[in-house]
Amino acid sequence: MAATRRLQKELGDLRKADLKTFRNIIVDESNILKWEGLIVPDQVPFNKGAFKVEINFPAEYPFKPPKVTFKTKIYHPNIDEKGQVCLPIISPEHWKPATKTDQVIQSLIALVQEPEPGHPLRPDLAEEFTRDKKKFFKNADEYTKKHSEKRPTD
Amino acid sequence: MDEDDEDDYCGYYDNDTDDLDIDKPKKSDDPEYFEFDLLHLEDAERLLNEEVEALCSKLKIDPSLAKMLLQVHGWNKESIIERHIIDHGKLLVDSKIKPAVKYKDTCFSNYRTCPVCYLTVQKDQMYSISCGHQFCKECWDSFFQIQIQQGITTGIECMEKDCNILVPEDFICSALSKPDFRDRYSTRSFTDHIEGHPQLRFCPGPNCSVIVRAKENKAKKVECGQCKTIFCFKCGIDYHCPTDCGTIKKWLTKCADDSETANYISANTKDCPKCHVCIEKNGGCNHVQCTKCKHDFCWMCLGDWKAHGSEYYECSRYKENPNIANESAHAQAREALKKYLFYFERWENHSKSLELEEQTLLKITSRIQDKVMNNAGTWIDWQYLLDAAGLLRKCRYSLQYTYPYAYFMEKGARKQLFEYQQAQLEAEVENLSWKVERAEITDRGDLENQMDVAEKRRQTLLKDFLEI
Repeated sequence: MAATRRLQKELGDLRKADLKTFRNIIVDESNILKWEGLIVPDQVPFNKGAFKVEINFPAEYPFKPPKVTFKTKIYHPNIDEKGQVCLPIISPEHWKPATKTDQVIQSLIALVQEPEPGHPLRPDLAEEFTRDKKKFFKNADEYTKKHSEKRPTD
Repeated sequence: MDEDDEDDYCGYYDNDTDDLDIDKPKKSDDPEYFEFDLLHLEDAERLLNEEVEALCSKLKIDPSLAKMLLQVHGWNKESIIERHIIDHGKLLVDSKIKPAVKYKDTCFSNYRTCPVCYLTVQKDQMYSISCGHQFCKECWDSFFQIQIQQGITTGIECMEKDCNILVPEDFICSALSKPDFRDRYSTRSFTDHIEGHPQLRFCPGPNCSVIVRAKENKAKKVECGQCKTIFCFKCGIDYHCPTDCGTIKKWLTKCADDSETANYISANTKDCPKCHVCIEKNGGCNHVQCTKCKHDFCWMCLGDWKAHGSEYYECSRYKENPNIANESAHAQAREALKKYLFYFERWENHSKSLELEEQTLLKITSRIQDKVMNNAGTWIDWQYLLDAAGLLRKCRYSLQYTYPYAYFMEKGARKQLFEYQQAQLEAEVENLSWKVERAEITDRGDLENQMDVAEKRRQTLLKDFLEI
């Protein structure tokens, strides 16, 4: 009950906010616990594409954190091949019930645009990112062009 | 059990109680000596309550707050009092009990919206702890239930993002609507308190509820009086001297990671190096004699046992390739694996020998039975053999734990000394093991001499290398 009421309110607020970097929010009427959206970064090297993400809320939300998964492949040290992200704000030990989904999304976008090679899920990319940023940017740019979603035109 | 006063010959035994427990280690000459008490749950509970009360009366605070302070500061009462005298406010802020700046509610309305469930309720239906962040009662209740389910109790923080103020026990208990959650909270927080207390530790034995109390938090040997588990007081896993807590963890992790590689070693049979008949090891002793050709060889290295005399026992020492730094990465990896397997094989072998030694003990018991039945000495005459088997176990156990130590040791004079003493102990332990398995007469002199030598070697090694 608490989950549904809160998620409806959060969803409404988020749609009203009309963020440039998080769009196309799709939520199935029958299941408010599963959201889909499009991350649209505005900084290099991911600013040539868009990335589909899925947010899954547990039935105990907001007392347990949501899970975020990338549905679009991305060349990123903190996002693995399965689309799993390591985001401290939604890790079970850091999660706070008063944290809003909007804050989770902001934190996710910040991580996408500024990788944290200190806690990588893909150590090979983290090493490339620290050692040779130019090369990382070039690879990420090419990978984005090849695999990512189309950016919304408006 | 201690002697009680009901003894009629009062005073007779009092002077030399040491005689009654010869096996008990004495402080002066035993590197493994450790003083500890075994407590029941209620005793431990009482002990903690006393400490809480002492702090309450000293600082004039309520028990809930005192418990939090003690838990946060590792039950170091003196340090809390000292910091309290210097700056009480700072102590509470540093302990995550009071915020540096309290959240101020600036809304004049009589209603508030709970930031967690978004329900609007009357102002007085909102509750907050010292930080001032307000939430409705239902949300606090649900939050505490889920935290308790996840095993979190003494570390529950405020629900607000980026607020790490701890929620006190009395607040949690009054918000919890279900009595069984209150019980779970108190059980789990008691466990937290024991685990946070440097002088207390739960016995790690399965289903054992004994709590050990020791004045010093050291990596020393504790034996539980109830379930007989022997463990290290500091880290709670199997007792591991002379290896320290950090090193043994590293070693066990390595063994778990490389278990596939090492699996092939775990065979119970080997071929006699001389006549190639297949031999199964059925005792702990590594000095093996082929049943067919009577060749004496070492189970570990399959070399002639003659080369394992006490002064030039080499089998426990790994000979590293002195030129390895100049070899290819491939060769270095192979050498690293070879080195690990060498130590692992010996570690594993002693562990297995210890299991086999259990069988030896059963055999000894039945052998003694037979002897006594055939009038070859009395039961008492044969006791020494059981003592010898016990000592053998103890020595082999220490020996097993010398291998992780040696594996991680840096090259140099100290490692040379360690490996020398380790080799000496190996030789004496195998001698003892051989003799125990074959003792046929009540002539105890020889065996007791061997026991003495083996234990001395063990003590020497521990004295030199037990870094506590």
